[in-house]
Amino acid sequence: MSSLLKRIPELSLLIIGTIVIYIAMGLLSEVNDTNLLTSDGAWALVVGSFLLSFIIAIVAVLGGVGGGVIYTPVMLGFTSIDSLLVRSTGLVVAMFSGLVSSGPFMRKGLADIRIVFYCAIPIVVGAMLGAQVAIGMAESMGEEGDALVRLMLGLILVFIAVMFIMGGSKNEYPKPKKIDELSEKLDLKSSYYEESLNKTIHYRAVRALPGGILFLIVGFTGGFFGLGGGWAVVPVLNLVMAVPLKVSAASSGVLLAMGNAAAIWPYIMKGALIAVFAAPWMIGQVIGGILGAHILSKINAGFVRNVLIVLLILTSIKLISRGVEGFFGVDIPII
Amino acid sequence: MNEETPNNTEEDDKPLVPRAGVIYGDIIYWGTIVGTFFVMLGSVVTFVTTNNYIDPAYLLSAIIDGATVENIWKGAEGVNQLPNGHWYLSEVTTGNGLTMLGIAMGVFSVTPAIFAAAYVLFKEGQKLFGGIAVVAGLITIFAMMP
Repeated sequence: MSSLLKRIPELSLLIIGTIVIYIAMGLLSEVNDTNLLTSDGAWALVVGSFLLSFIIAIVAVLGGVGGGVIYTPVMLGFTSIDSLLVRSTGLVVAMFSGLVSSGPFMRKGLADIRIVFYCAIPIVVGAMLGAQVAIGMAESMGEEGDALVRLMLGLILVFIAVMFIMGGSKNEYPKPKKIDELSEKLDLKSSYYEESLNKTIHYRAVRALPGGILFLIVGFTGGFFGLGGGWAVVPVLNLVMAVPLKVSAASSGVLLAMGNAAAIWPYIMKGALIAVFAAPWMIGQVIGGILGAHILSKINAGFVRNVLIVLLILTSIKLISRGVEGFFGVDIPII
Repeated sequence: MNEETPNNTEEDDKPLVPRAGVIYGDIIYWGTIVGTFFVMLGSVVTFVTTNNYIDPAYLLSAIIDGATVENIWKGAEGVNQLPNGHWYLSEVTTGNGLTMLGIAMGVFSVTPAIFAAAYVLFKEGQKLFGGIAVVAGLITIFAMMP
């Protein structure tokens, strides 16, 4: 750990800065008590959010998903916080660990800039559309729209959990048999040095058109639900476009950061992102993202993945029940 | 249609890391870190001073009470309306404004990074991907227009 801090001095500064600010905010707080929250409670809420965000960033890296997939469903399922606010903050959680990991992944040559730019167009357009529809729906449908969002998200989580359970079909070094015309024209071929094998891996992305269409859908879903889309980007790159697993994973974070950066502006400009609430989630993602990218490769990711599957299934049950309750006006007794 | 691709083959030399990618990644990395320090500073100002655009005690209470975004802004003393556009730019001396500026800086870092990478791609003769990068950059600019 100490060698890592020496190697990445900015990480030391971020950690020290975070400790200092939270101590100062606790000792010198000028925040007033309200009927719902004391000054100490407000501080605990902020520090608790930071710690949760930090943990989510690490679990997300290990589980191979964006943090939004954990944050947004849990907050929508188990808290009464407004769904638009949860989804906008979910984009912060989904994107900032991806933003800070862009540097190391690009420097190592793992993320493929040409694949990233090709896939960025549909994912950015989809994400912006999703964000606009989310804001429009919140303005026009009110609580009924909220319930519908929970219900749809619950169903999507079931799909994601099933995808994780079947995740064994991932292919580390896919070998495409045919190159379609568009992929041929785009010439999406590259190579990277695989340290574990001590050799250079050459690859060529194929099925550029179906890949692009799928990224449009992934972008829309990510922007609408505040999920990000890490759960879908790696499978599309790896299984559909035949990109090696390691390049898919590294490109996924970079790509999502770009897509979510476009999706988050409408939320910011409409006031749907509240700074005091989002700040600890952002700081946690940045520190957790840098740490996760550098030191966590030795931890058993399989165990974390199983925990993630259980979490997704439990959260989906809660979300579906809350969605059905709100949309159809029935009472489902689930804790 | 071609029949086979050169996949998973071996070479002695390590491939060169594309310069466009390195520049893209570095701009975002440092932009995000600088933005995070602004967020830290803004968080302290929010909590340890009374210099705020909206009272943080009110904001946090309203959020955990489940208030809608519209009601939060309309109920905020001295504001009473939803923002439209980059409201934080005129409030950078307040805790809320400074914190939001930091978040926005992190998000914004993507845009110059895309254009810098596009410039390198054009310089290296990769006009198609340089063009795609420019389009992606223009879309992110369009997204941040009020």
